Amino acid sequence: MTQQITLSGIEKHYGGYHALKGINLDIPKGQFVALVGPSGCGKSTLLRTIAGLETISGGRIEIAGRDVTAVPPRGRDIAMVFQSYALYPHLTVEGNMTYALRLKGLSKAEAKARAAEIAEITGLSALLQRYPRELSGGQRQRVAMGRAIVRDPAAFLFDEPLSNLDAALRVHMRAEIRKLHNRLGATSVYVTHDQIEAMTMADHVVVMRAGVVEQQGAPLELYDRPANQFVAGFIGSPAMNFVPGRVGEDEQSVALDLAGSPVLRFAGRRPSGEAVTVGLRPEHLELGGAGGNSLTLPVALVERTGSASYIVSDTDLMIAATERVADGLGQVTVHIASERVHLFHPTTGVALR
Amino acid sequence: MLRFDRVFRDGGGFDTLLVMLALGYLVVFSAFPLIYNVVMSFQEVDLFSLASFDRPFVGWDNYSEVMGERVFTPIFWNTVQFVGLSVFFQLTIGFGLALFFQQDFPGATWLRGLFLAGWILPGLVVGAVWGWILAGDFGVLNYVLQSLGLIEGKIFWLSDPSVSLYSGIIANIWLGIPFNMILLSVGLAAIPADVYEAAELDGASRLHRFLTITLPLMRAQLGAVISLGVIFTLQQFDLFAALTRGGPSNASNVLQYWAWQLSFEEYRIGQGSVVSVLMILFVVIVAFVYVRSTRNEHAG
Repeated sequence: MTQQITLSGIEKHYGGYHALKGINLDIPKGQFVALVGPSGCGKSTLLRTIAGLETISGGRIEIAGRDVTAVPPRGRDIAMVFQSYALYPHLTVEGNMTYALRLKGLSKAEAKARAAEIAEITGLSALLQRYPRELSGGQRQRVAMGRAIVRDPAAFLFDEPLSNLDAALRVHMRAEIRKLHNRLGATSVYVTHDQIEAMTMADHVVVMRAGVVEQQGAPLELYDRPANQFVAGFIGSPAMNFVPGRVGEDEQSVALDLAGSPVLRFAGRRPSGEAVTVGLRPEHLELGGAGGNSLTLPVALVERTGSASYIVSDTDLMIAATERVADGLGQVTVHIASERVHLFHPTTGVALR
Repeated sequence: MLRFDRVFRDGGGFDTLLVMLALGYLVVFSAFPLIYNVVMSFQEVDLFSLASFDRPFVGWDNYSEVMGERVFTPIFWNTVQFVGLSVFFQLTIGFGLALFFQQDFPGATWLRGLFLAGWILPGLVVGAVWGWILAGDFGVLNYVLQSLGLIEGKIFWLSDPSVSLYSGIIANIWLGIPFNMILLSVGLAAIPADVYEAAELDGASRLHRFLTITLPLMRAQLGAVISLGVIFTLQQFDLFAALTRGGPSNASNVLQYWAWQLSFEEYRIGQGSVVSVLMILFVVIVAFVYVRSTRNEHAG
């Protein structure tokens, strides 16, 4: 596969603040990449450096095989969908969509025809003569998408495009953006703080924290084999439980620092007596202790969503059960498969395998 | 008494009072003088009939007399030049400065604030200061121009009939720039940065962004600044009083100063009122444009 976007050693300093610390990223043509992380992690800054809206302090950016490190935004052939949509308020939907085409030198008729074609795809045909102020949030979002698509750019950049929509519309637009991406065979970079969005939409997820890429890979790879405690806690909802523990003499089990020091077997071997942080995903703790490798936990609270029951223990451990749970449960016994027990270094957080 | 008190506090009583206060102020200090001025323009007013309302009605006589004055045409064109050039340069220089201070550089807002200093000076003081700057024999401007080798002899800015109007225009431009700059700065600040970024990614150069984003989005502010600029320029009286007093021989006279001369120097109050009425009509038209331009603002 050819690389559509290549970032090598991207550095960004704001005065004394080191925002991006040597970011390397290869994005093949046609891939949907999500940049995800908590606020302030540098994901938006990284996106803006790809667009050229931020200059970089070091490193190199290639788009479609061309070094664009020193090229201004308008020479990079990139379209961006902004969180605020950034529509031109004084232009109609059609005007918004034809703006770039007219600058490219297309005639008025050609530009209008192209806009009409894309409006068809994005469901904007009936709104072409409206002004942004006359549109709902979801419609504006569509216009922002249409304005990007109409240009047929080398890559699409999305900066949290769904965060201003209500929950139901967000889920709907999530699927729609992904379908459009497939249909256009586009290359997309998508910034979000919502790991569910990243997991569901992307082929490749890049988890960032404090200007550093913590881990990147396919969504399920990040879920199954998190490289460190941060990624483990960030990917997956509800978040992974972490409990301190110590490896037993058999080098294959760990005693948890909980009442009664329950012991869980894990896959692989670690030196006896090693202090570790044990990671247990709420959804991997199955009710019923059959098959051993189980824990018995006192129940403090049960939250029900209808499809799931979240059982919170008195030590704030969470269990996500798909079955309904009766009230007045004093304690609960859960089982976990040994290969689903994650171990992390207690201070560095690096995954131990 | 208690009931009245309740109506006053909880009912519409207090609201009505506030509206009446504002309305009363407008009637006494704006509407009455305005209408009284129009009435006087149709009457024969002299110093003896000044105190009475009952004055002989003379129809359009005052109007034909004012229009028939030999100086009417030159003063009219002086006013057109004064307003046109003042507003044009106040706007372009003010807009230029607003764009300049919109750039992100250290001290930008602080420096912009300093520009306002000129605006808070009273017109008479500005006139006096410019009087010294423009003075023919010892003025700073002549000294600078001569040092730079731009002029040979001294220009007598205030007493040479061919340039005296321009001395008023220059001072007035200087006086109006801060107002234009601040109002336009507010408009520029209201345009979201990401709209410019979107345009940049869409391939628009700096000039294109100015022409296709800034100018259309500033339409309302530009309309407002132009209308207010015309109105402020038409009421610019102090500068003429301080600089040239309309002279020499009306070379720098404008309608607003002439109206004052007619009414309060020559005591031809009827004719003075006529000039005022003509200016009121023009201001009403400008005000109408102003209201229209601020009404059609683009919402986000």
